[in-house]
Order: sequence, then C-alpha cells, then structure tokens
Amino acid sequence: MKPPPFAYHAPTQLDEALALLERYGDDAKVLAGGQSLMPLLNFRLSYPSALIDINRVAELSYLRQENDQVRIGALTRQRTIEFSELVRRQLPLLSEATTLVGHLPIRTRGTIGGSLAHADPAAEYPAVALVLDAELVLQRPGGQRSVSAEEFFVSYLTTVLAPNEIVTEIRFSPAPPTSGCAFEEVARRHGDFALVGVAGVIDAEGEQCRTARLAAAGVGPTPIRLRTAEDILVQEGVTEQSIQRAAAKAAELVEPDSDIHASADFRRHLTEVLTRRAIQRALERGRERRA
Amino acid sequence: MSEPNEHSQARPVTLRVNGTEHRGQVEPRKLLVDFLREDLGLTGSHVGCEHGICGACTILINGEAARSCLMLAVQADGAELMTVEGLAPQSGGPPALPGKTGQLHPLQTAFWEHHGLQCGFCTPGMLMTAYDLLQTNAAPSEAEIRAGLSAVLCRCTGYQGIVEAVQAAAETLRAGEEDQ
Amino acid sequence: MEEFTPKLVGARVKRREDQRLLTGQGAYVDDHHPPGLLHAAFLRSPYAHARMTQLDTSAARTREGVVAVLTGKDLVSLVKPVRAVSKMREYKETSFPPLAVDKVRYVGEALAVVIAENRYLAEDAIEWIRVEYDPLPTVANERDAAQPDAPVLHDEAGSNVLLSREFARGDVDAALAGAAVRVRDRFRFRRHATVCMENRGCLADYRAGTGELTLRSATQCPGLLRDVLADLLDMPEHYIRVVAADVGGGFGAKSSLYPEEIVLCAVARLLKRPVKWISDRQEDLKTSTQAWDEIVDAELGLQADGTIIGLRADVTTDIGAYSIYPWTATVEPIQTISFLSGPYRMPHYRGRNRGVATCKAPMGPYRGVGRPITTFVLESLMDRAARRLALDPAELRLKNYIRADEFPYKTPSGLVWDQASLTECMQKARDVLDSDATAQWRVQARAAGRWVGVGFATYIELTGVGSAIPVSPGMPIATGTEAAFLRVDPAGTVIATFSVAPQGQGHETALAQVVADALGVSFGSVRVICGDTALAPQGTGTYASRSAVLAGGAAIRAGQALKEKALKIAGHMMESNPADLDIRDGQVFLRDKPERRLPFRDVAKTAYAGLRRLPKDMEPGLEVTRFYDPFFGTASSATHAAVVEVDTETYAVTIKRYIVVEDCGRIINPLIVDGQVRGGVAQGIGAALYEEVVYDDEGQLLTGSLMDYLVPTASELLPIEVHHIETPSPTTLGGFRGMGEGGTIGAPAAIANAVSDALAHLGIEINEIPMTPEKLFRLVRAAGADGR
Repeated sequence: MKPPPFAYHAPTQLDEALALLERYGDDAKVLAGGQSLMPLLNFRLSYPSALIDINRVAELSYLRQENDQVRIGALTRQRTIEFSELVRRQLPLLSEATTLVGHLPIRTRGTIGGSLAHADPAAEYPAVALVLDAELVLQRPGGQRSVSAEEFFVSYLTTVLAPNEIVTEIRFSPAPPTSGCAFEEVARRHGDFALVGVAGVIDAEGEQCRTARLAAAGVGPTPIRLRTAEDILVQEGVTEQSIQRAAAKAAELVEPDSDIHASADFRRHLTEVLTRRAIQRALERGRERRA
Repeated sequence: MSEPNEHSQARPVTLRVNGTEHRGQVEPRKLLVDFLREDLGLTGSHVGCEHGICGACTILINGEAARSCLMLAVQADGAELMTVEGLAPQSGGPPALPGKTGQLHPLQTAFWEHHGLQCGFCTPGMLMTAYDLLQTNAAPSEAEIRAGLSAVLCRCTGYQGIVEAVQAAAETLRAGEEDQ
Repeated sequence: MEEFTPKLVGARVKRREDQRLLTGQGAYVDDHHPPGLLHAAFLRSPYAHARMTQLDTSAARTREGVVAVLTGKDLVSLVKPVRAVSKMREYKETSFPPLAVDKVRYVGEALAVVIAENRYLAEDAIEWIRVEYDPLPTVANERDAAQPDAPVLHDEAGSNVLLSREFARGDVDAALAGAAVRVRDRFRFRRHATVCMENRGCLADYRAGTGELTLRSATQCPGLLRDVLADLLDMPEHYIRVVAADVGGGFGAKSSLYPEEIVLCAVARLLKRPVKWISDRQEDLKTSTQAWDEIVDAELGLQADGTIIGLRADVTTDIGAYSIYPWTATVEPIQTISFLSGPYRMPHYRGRNRGVATCKAPMGPYRGVGRPITTFVLESLMDRAARRLALDPAELRLKNYIRADEFPYKTPSGLVWDQASLTECMQKARDVLDSDATAQWRVQARAAGRWVGVGFATYIELTGVGSAIPVSPGMPIATGTEAAFLRVDPAGTVIATFSVAPQGQGHETALAQVVADALGVSFGSVRVICGDTALAPQGTGTYASRSAVLAGGAAIRAGQALKEKALKIAGHMMESNPADLDIRDGQVFLRDKPERRLPFRDVAKTAYAGLRRLPKDMEPGLEVTRFYDPFFGTASSATHAAVVEVDTETYAVTIKRYIVVEDCGRIINPLIVDGQVRGGVAQGIGAALYEEVVYDDEGQLLTGSLMDYLVPTASELLPIEVHHIETPSPTTLGGFRGMGEGGTIGAPAAIANAVSDALAHLGIEINEIPMTPEKLFRLVRAAGADGR
C-alpha cells in the first residue's frame, strides 16, 4: 500500500495551480486535504500522472462574512470550520455536521472544497451544501463560474467540475435567525461514513412553516434534496401527522443501494426515521433560538 | 501501471521534529510516516493501515493531530512536527532503567498507572490524539473522551484503561495550569 | 515441593514494558533497519480459484531497484512444502505451498515475490509480472463445498471435507426422545478476523560467514517457528534464531506459520542480504488466518423440572482454503465439539463436525477457539428452554451446573475439569447486577415502549493445557511443556528467560513477580526475557491461555531450585543449617534469628567465586532450567451478564451494563488480569455486534479495509465491570489458571441472550452473530413489528 509514482507540483498561487491543471488535464489530481485521495493512492486505486498540491495556495484559505453571505475558501480545513465562532453563529448546521466528519485528526487536514469536489454521496458536507443552497465558485484559467450545490453534484464521485477547474470558494447564505436546523445520521461506528444522514433547516412558528429544507446523504448517487417532503411541511404546516407524512415521502424520494453494511430497504427505512428526527430536532432548535 | 516520470526524483525537505531541524531528500510519493521512520529513525509512529482509519501513525503537525500516513513527506516541508518521541520532557540523562520512570508527560504517566496499553502498537497514536483532545478541550466528559479517542483503534484494552488515563491526565494538566 | 507463598503475586504491579512503549522506543519488527536491507512485496491472486497458465516475471526483473523476483516454482528447490500433519482420524492432510504452484485457491494467495531496494519499488515491479489465469468454479461457502459434485480444492484430498469427527456419550437420541422439553435451532457464527493493530511482518537475515539465519517475526511462537523452519530449510535448528521482540497483538492469528516467513528465510539465504516484509492492512485482512465461521444445528433436551438430559449437535466449519501449520484445519472444529457440553452435567451427548475447505483465507485460532460459538449455542438454548419452561434463566443454570462435589468432572468429549466456581460466579453476577432492581427497571422501560433485555452466559474452558489432552492433538509438536531458565549474575540480578512470547500480556512484569516470590528477591532484581530462541530454553510460545500456568509453573520450579542452592551456599557462608534459612526481600536470614542476615547478592557473588568458598562438592554457579507440564491442564470459568437496549427505529444495540464474574485461580497481577478480561470482552462485543468478514459468491473479499471490517472504537464500548472469585487451581503449580481468552468467549452469548430478551415479545430469538442493525431490521420486519 504505497502510492505509485507521480509528478508533484506544489504551487503557491492559484494561477499557477490552474496553469498546471490546464497542462495535465484529466491526468492530474488536485491534492487538497488528502483524506480521501491519499487512501486511494495508497491502495493504488488511482494512478494520476501528476499531483497538484494546493495546500500552499494560501489565498484559498479563509472564512469571512461578506454582505449577507459567509464565504469559505475551498482550502479551509474542517477543523477551522469546527472551531469557528462565525460558523457556529451563522451556519449552525455546518458546525454540527463538521463534528460528524471522520475524526478530529482527519478534520485537521480535510478541507471543505476537497470534500465537496470528491462528492462522496454519503459524506456530510455535500448534503449540507445542498440543503443550505450553497453556491460553489469554480475557477478555470482566465475565468470563473458559480454553480449551485444542486447543479454541482452529478453522480457518485462526479461533479460538473471541468478538468481545468478548481473549486475556490463556497458561499453560504445563513438561514433566517428564526429557523432551526439539525443533522441526523446513523453510522455503524463513531466517525464512519453514515449509512444514512438527513440534514434539515426549518423556519416555522407554531404550526405555520415558512420554509423547510431537507436533504439526505448516503441514499443515492448524489446527496438528495427532498423537495416534495419539504412541500408537505410548508403546505400542511408542522403537525405530528405532516411530519410523519414528510418523513414517509422522504423515504420514497431516495434511491439507495445495498452494500455489506445496509440494504436499500433498511436505508429507506432509516431515511424515514432520520427525516422525522431531523425535522423534530430542527423545530426544537428553532423554538430555542427564538426564545 | 506505474511509470517513473518527470518529477519523481527526490526533492529537498526541511522540517522540525520535536524541536530539532532535519533536512533530507525525498521522493515526492514517500509518505510522511515512512520518512519519519526510515529517514529520521523515529520509529515511534507506527504504520497500521495506510488508509487513515487505525490512527497508529497520528502525530502533531504544526500543533494539530493528523495522520502521517495520509500526508506526503514533501508536504511537511517547513512544518513543525511532534511525535511520541517528543512528548516527554527531554531529560538529557541516561535512559531510565526498565520499570523506572524517567521523565514522562502526564499522559504517559497516566497511561502507565491506568494500564492504558497492552501491546503498545496503538499507543503512540493514542497519546498524540489524546494530547490534541486535551488541548482543544481541557475538561472533557467521558463521552467526549471516547468520541475523541475513536480516532484511534486499540485491539487490546477495550479502551477502559485509556479512557481512565486521559481523565486522570486531564486533571493533572488542569492542576498544573492552576499552579502557574 | 515447598508451598508457594505469594507476596508480589497478587499485587497491582505497574508494567515494566510500558516505559519503552510509551516513549516510542518499542522494538517491533518494522522498527529494524539493518544495513543492506531489502524489501519484499508479494503478488497475490485476484481470483478465488484458478489455474495459472502463465507466470512471466521477466519484465518485473528489469524494473528500477529490483534485486530478485521469485515464483512458487523457484522456491521448490529452496524449501520443502509445508504439510499440516495430524494423526487425527478422519483428517485429510494437504499441502500449503509458500507461493502457489499451478493453482490458486483464495483471493490474496501469494504467487510471486519481488525483492527490491524499497517497498515502493517492490510494489511498482509487482505490477509488471504477467499472469494468465484459467478461472475455476469458486467454492464459495461450506454448503456448496460439501456437495458431492463440488469442485475440489485439493485433488490430493479427493473432497473438500477435510475432517469429520464425532464425540459422544450415552444414548442421546433415546434421551431426547424421552425429554419433556426439547429446544433446537440452527446457529450461525459468521467469519471473523483478528485484526491485530500491528500487521504481520518479518525480517530474515542470513550471515554467510557463520551460516546463521535470524528471523525477526511478529509471531506468538518463536520456538515453534524455529523448529519447523529448520525442517523446511533443511538447516540445523541451532543455526536458526527466531526473535519476537515487541509484537503488536496476536490473539491467535500470529500463532501459525505463514508463507511469507518461509519465503523471506529462503530469499535471505539465497541473496545473503537482510530482507523485510511488512504486511499492509489489505494483505492482512486477505491473508491472516480468519476464524469462527460455523453453522451449528443443535438440540437440547430437558426434564420438566429443567434438568438437562442431553444435547446433540451437527457442526459445519468453513476452514478456508488451506490447513495451516501446526494447528491444521482441525483446530476450530475439534474445539467446538469438545466444548459444546459446557458447564453443565450432561449425561447424553453427541457432537459431530465436518470441516470443509472453501475459497477463503485459511481458518486459524482466534481468541476463544471454538468456545465463543459453543457458548453462544448452548447458552442460547438454555434461555430458550427457560422461556419454554417459564423458569428464571439464572435458576435454570444454577440447577444444571456441575456441582462442587462432582469435580474433577469428565466431560462427554473426555476433557477433565479440575474445579470451577460456576455457582459462585453466577450468584455474584446476580448480586452485582442487582437482579431485582434490574428486573424492575426492565418492566418499567418496556412499559414505556423500549426494547431492553438482560442476558447471562456461563462458560468453562480448559487452560494451561499439558500433554495429556494437548492443544495439538495428533500433531507432531509438543505443546504440553514450557521451561524457565534462571541465571543469577554475580551482582545478584536474576535473568529469567522463557520461550513464551507475549504480544501485550505483560509477561515481563507478571513472570518477574512469580520469580521474585519463588526466590524471595525483590521485583526490581528480576529481569524477564521472552521471545528469543537464541536465549530461551526449549518451548513453543504464547497461545491457548497457557503462559501463566506453564511458564508461571516453570518459574516457580526454577525459582525454588535456585533458592535451594542459594540457601546451601548461604548456610556455608553463615555457618548455619540451610534448612533454618529463608530469603525475603533479597536478604538471606536465619528464621529464628532474623537479625542474622546476608544480602542475596553476596550469595550470588560467592556462587561464582570458586570451590574454595563453596560447600564441599558443590558445583559453582547459580543458574537452573526447569520444565513444567501441568498434564491435564486446569479449568477457568465465568458468568457474564449484559444489559442491552435495542433502538426501536434504528436497530442499533446499546450495551448499558456489562458484568464479568470470573475465576482464573490465583491472580498474579490484577491490573493485567482485568486488562485481559476487558480486552477480551471488547473483542467479544465487536464479534457480537460489528465485525464480519464478507466474501461474495465469487470469493472476492468485500471487507478488505478497516472502513468495512468494523473493529469497535472507544465510542462503541463501555466500562466493563470485572469481579473475581479467586480459587487457586488444585492441580497447577501456584494455583494459576489461564485467562487470556475468557472475555471473548462469554461476550457474544451474553449479548445475544440480552438482545433475544429485549425482542422476546416479538417472538424473535437471535441465532446469528453478528447482530447488525440490518439483520435486526429484517428480523423485526419479518415479525411484522416495525409499525407497518
């Protein structure tokens, strides 16, 4: 389990990194935190001709409030996000989900951009980005574009990133201060990838539900936004029955696979359970925040 | 299929480990843990899985715990590392006799007193992980200790002695802070 | 024999191993980098069953840094093939080539080795070896393997059934026919992996000048390896030195001879350079021996009052692709039918077993060997019987335990239990659990809709096994004896050398306690050395819960012999009768006049000072070697109690309390004993709830990483409450009983019974390990109780 040989570049400027990417195209891998890529290299499941290590591109590492948005540089470590007061205050869902990403020594290195670009559908960050309607800034030599999280994820480990593009920034619009959020997941062991995870952000008062956003991880080729389940809450208001119906709807919306840890049936069942739990806890959190 | 190519030749690396500066030449693909063990002779950090699950290779990189099997040695150029060999205060004297305590870090002492190790293979990674846990949370609950230590697998102890040791060390370290 | 008086024995002495291990100064195999070191990497089969039609290493040989590439054919002239020999009836012997020749039989089987300047280059070159395979039908599981038309893995055996045995007593069929209550089920223990945190590995170094071969290996059995390697390499034993310094866990998986050890020795001798191979985790999960893969159809019969009258069982064991040396494919199957009758009076019994070969990694010993399954099966049947008879499960057990006046008790399979504290352990377990309060809590929690349960399991196991009923029945090795070699240097330090070889059990501390007590010297003046055949007396290693009993017994013998001689010398020096002298705290003193004393080190110095200073006719020197064979071995026993809750929606099992009450005889070091119990229980919990080796129908391993093979973390485990009934064994020196495996033996059964109790209202009874959320989900859904 030793990596195969590769050309190695450690640019210090984004332009330099993009130029290298342009040069190698598909043959190169961008090395960010490395917590997913390094195992693939060690297992020799990946043979890139070049690694473009962006860890020294300091301009990609920041976390700041700008206008109504929290903007996070792609190279920002999960650990930094975990201990950020700004994130705790403005993006409590991201804060909570971060503590579920592997373990602290993994989060020391793991980056937000890397996690999103890797696009493991069972990971927490893609579901959070989806449920918070995050925008991702994709930079290519001489230009950039911005895509929504919903557009970004294409399939298992696949995104809309072109071979010459790098994720440089993730933009979050904080949920209204009257809302509550929750990330519920079931994993076999503490720190494992979730069998199923459900993220929810709900803005409700009494039975009236202004907005509801729900997304599930681990139950399809991408994280899945549970829009018709959301609609049930907004249209029917939040009652025990509507929560139950939304949860049951969520289980219909997902497309899980079976693997050695859980069957598709069980994942569907867990989607229902966790959706209900996520809604209930988000509502509770909202009540606490408003109180 | 692997073919050596343009930049697979060695690159210079300068880094500080346990307060000492080291310079070396290293092939880019060489894992940091292999560099520490083979090039610097610091065999305290162990290789247990090379995919980031077991945690035996955990060291501090610029003060924060991380897997040295999921980093390339070239990535540590310019970094300040701490391994298990650097945990105890350096006494400078001759090595202690077996069974006699030399200078140990409070975590090491607590592991010894609470039987926090058996085969010892996970111990270096466990110690460095516990060190980071206590520097981010000086008074963790038992559940927080267990969650923090879940970053490292131990197959011998059932973790009980380890958890007790970290609880004890946390108290010692807090008492030490108050004294100062 | 003088009575052994414990003083340090029984004390919570902190381990002396820890200083080096805590400071990163351990000496595991991979920590050694001798000058000129080469590194090995193995090409392993991607097929479960295939014939190799072509194996071309020419391109690999030319790659950068490559020194040599060898295949199975190259090795034929260098080493003899391994035969896992046993004279056991109904056992078919097969070969296990160090590198496959012609045919591969499991995914991961080694078929070529590259020796290169470093591991990176060796792995690069592996990819340049060209192999063409002609795939053969996969023998995917034990059911298919035993079919008459199944493809045969080993032509020489003629069938995949490599073993079939039966142990019986009385007339079980008649007894069961007359039973008031019969309970039966098909029980399944899925395949498990040991997962030592240190992967296997070895380093072979051949010195052409002296002809000496040194093998450093992560092994439990240096002596055993030395003996077999001498045969395979055709070298005199004394030219081979096997060293196991610090070893990162073993649990049985490092007790067998592995192909890589043979290959490395052969290659080092061929190249005359040191060569190292360290298994990576993927290799370890594919090739280290796996365990416990069995199906048991069992039926228990009882009288209306709950008295057991008989048990019959048919067991099928999936022994994987090869019979391993030295334990053979019989190790797990034979243990299973030997131990199935458990801690109960069992008038009628029949246990049948078949061991069948499949395309999986070889099965070997893993902590508990056979007994985790037998305890699961029998204790599950006891709870089923208790439910049928509406009896308290603990009362049913108390009624049937072998009684104190029935020891020594001969089991239906011929084992002898010297003595055990079965009733005491159960009573104490119930006290610690506070049965009444727990029962009340259970009622209240259930009323609130929670799924909670309590489960017990009692086991008895044979430990410290001597030569009468050996660990290795029918095998050409001696496992019934161990020795201690004690040498006192002129400064009075005792160097105690053993051929047992620990992997975390703390022998350096525990055996020093025993030696110090036997001799009357201080703990600090005894140094223990284990795991180096160049220094150790003849012996095999550490396995089968034997070290405390065998090495401890040998240590007492040697210590007492040494003391006898020391007292003779001291008597001469003090002009006293040696019979009036004793040694305590490193001082020789006159029993009646303790102020007349002499430091032990003065005696040691005198021992080497020549005849002029010694009693007439005494040989100078102060060292002895003594052997010990406990012959029948001794029994250890325990009751485990688990309190669990099953999440009614996610089906996760949470253990709320876990209690162990055990009797391992005289305790040498409570710190170490409790650590062994807790660590054993942790592995049992892992086995019960998380861990499973999964192969698909093509024989591909689906659990080839630690993301998929789920070793529990600190968050999945809980504090284990450990209590002791300390009854010194009546049959072993020092009264020690072995205890390294017990935790793992009891845990799956206790947890399964607790989960069955929690789900009993749904009509669910657990019959398969591990109990994963997925499996519980399916059981609950099948019972129609998931709210649908």
